[in-house]
Amino acid sequence: MILQLFISGILLGGVYALVSIGLTLIFGVLDVVNFAHGEFLMIGMYTVFWLCTLLHMDPYLSLLLVAPLLFFMGLFVGRTVIRQTIGAPSSVQIFATVGVSLILTNGALVLWKADFRSVTTTYGSGALALGPIFIGYPQLISFIGAIVFSAMLFPFLRYTYIGKAIRATAQDRRAAMLMGIDIQKIYVFTFGIGIALVGIASALLAPIYSIYPSVGSQFVLVAYVAVVLGGLGNIPGAILGSIIIGITETFSGFFISPGWRQAIYYAVFILVLIFRPQGLFGQKQ
Amino acid sequence: MEDSGKLRLLRFIKKDPELSFSVLGLLFLAVLIGFIQNPFYLDVLIMILLWALLASSWNIAGGYAGMFSLGHGAFIGIGAYASSMLFIHFKLSPWVGMIIGAVAAGIVASFLGYICGRLKGHYFALATIAFVELINITGVQLKELTRGSEGLSIPFHPGWLNFMFESKVTYAYIGLVFAAIFYFLSLTLERSKLGYYLVAMREDEDAAKSLAINTPLVKMISIGLSGFLAAIGGTFYAQYILFIEPDTVLSFNFSVQVALVTIVGGMGTALGPIIGSFLLTPLSMLLRAYLGGGLAGLHIVIYGFLLLIVVFFIPDGIVNTIRIPLTKYLKGKDIG
Repeated sequence: MILQLFISGILLGGVYALVSIGLTLIFGVLDVVNFAHGEFLMIGMYTVFWLCTLLHMDPYLSLLLVAPLLFFMGLFVGRTVIRQTIGAPSSVQIFATVGVSLILTNGALVLWKADFRSVTTTYGSGALALGPIFIGYPQLISFIGAIVFSAMLFPFLRYTYIGKAIRATAQDRRAAMLMGIDIQKIYVFTFGIGIALVGIASALLAPIYSIYPSVGSQFVLVAYVAVVLGGLGNIPGAILGSIIIGITETFSGFFISPGWRQAIYYAVFILVLIFRPQGLFGQKQ
Repeated sequence: MEDSGKLRLLRFIKKDPELSFSVLGLLFLAVLIGFIQNPFYLDVLIMILLWALLASSWNIAGGYAGMFSLGHGAFIGIGAYASSMLFIHFKLSPWVGMIIGAVAAGIVASFLGYICGRLKGHYFALATIAFVELINITGVQLKELTRGSEGLSIPFHPGWLNFMFESKVTYAYIGLVFAAIFYFLSLTLERSKLGYYLVAMREDEDAAKSLAINTPLVKMISIGLSGFLAAIGGTFYAQYILFIEPDTVLSFNFSVQVALVTIVGGMGTALGPIIGSFLLTPLSMLLRAYLGGGLAGLHIVIYGFLLLIVVFFIPDGIVNTIRIPLTKYLKGKDIG
């Protein structure tokens, strides 16, 4: 039973990781906390839902459309809103992204109502049995997808020119600018990538979770916790943080009560913020 | 004689235009309430005053001290739930419950200020989000006391002792008295030594520290006072609406709206939250009334765009944008 909980926790953490990586990437490069991150996830999940219902597309296949769509949406919001907040006082940063979040959540409420919707697949209820342990196929697919796509991010950031430019901007804006990097473009592009990662996450999550206008906040709060645990801006930290949160959630759901399980990680979150604001693995500044 | 009285008044207006215009506005509202017959308009006015109370409380921490809380719903909810539960379970007068709730919220808020005080900007905002979610879950889970997500209906037994009234006019006058108290409290704070400490800390914490301002203590006091006042606003909300649920008073969305009203009006000014509420509350109520349930949420979409516009074009809010040139103009005029 303990092993089962452990495995489920890791799988859950893998899913959270995709949302967290985008958030931490955006923070690391732009130094902006994106309070609208979860709302992009919600938009992505609705897109998957409509592609599945209207065009009878397989939810995992829809990833090929949703990820680029959200990438462009990220570019648009990055250009119109986020770029103006760079270097602005934190009140401007916080409330600009909160404004985007209000528009998206309530826009979805106006367009699609508060009904809970779900994507069904033929293989959705199946499970893989490994001795005494059961792993649902959708959970397994989303975990593998999360691992594959986050693994793809590392060579991209390490070896491509634009990846190097992104890392340079994250390390030192002014130096990057002096080296001839168009940092304004890098900001917008990084935001696009962060949101595209959310798009991938939404295709992987849509078959597992119900879709409703405020679904994003459920995941993004977890992502904040994971990102702070791993140290803001630290990508491997965000993945590890997500897995820690996933395991914490399944264990506290089982041993305490499902209703209280989220309370545990909010409490952990506040404690981490107070005692190790640089994250569990970060260095003291 | 009459002439010198008039002169003295003019001198006072010149010396302190904000205070004199506010007193005038207050008197105008007091008279206005007596004349409004239409219950819908009266309702709008009460809601304006209610949101002005909530926003004023946020302003003490978020505006003056620069502690951007996105979890004020927690303190408002503590106030609303404390007075309502004490009334329902122990038949305690909501007036007493209001004080108990406010003290409780004040203590909780100071504690939060103590433990999260050294977090800056968005870190503090994230901590307050986690805090309001934590209180929200507590409110949902403690079903025996709070009735969970079903919400808590407060039985209507009108009377002064029960803080419930048949007539909306009474609510409007009580709201006005509260708003006036909150306003004068903010204005006193703004002009006190503590107020200057808060602003100094907001502008540059290290510099404030180097001038021997005890910033951790100042933070605790400001957010404690903010939480105390938020809880009083929460009780007023509960006594007027007579229904509270975790998804409204204890939510992140509610907390954002409280902050929004202040930002639009002008952070760090006593008048800002009131002006913000006079603009936003009727807007949202009219939109809700005319658009009906079919387009639920549209008013918040508009709020969102408004927030972006304000943040980018008048980041200091309406009051700050108007006040400085206006004060200069009035001071420049030669009176007496």
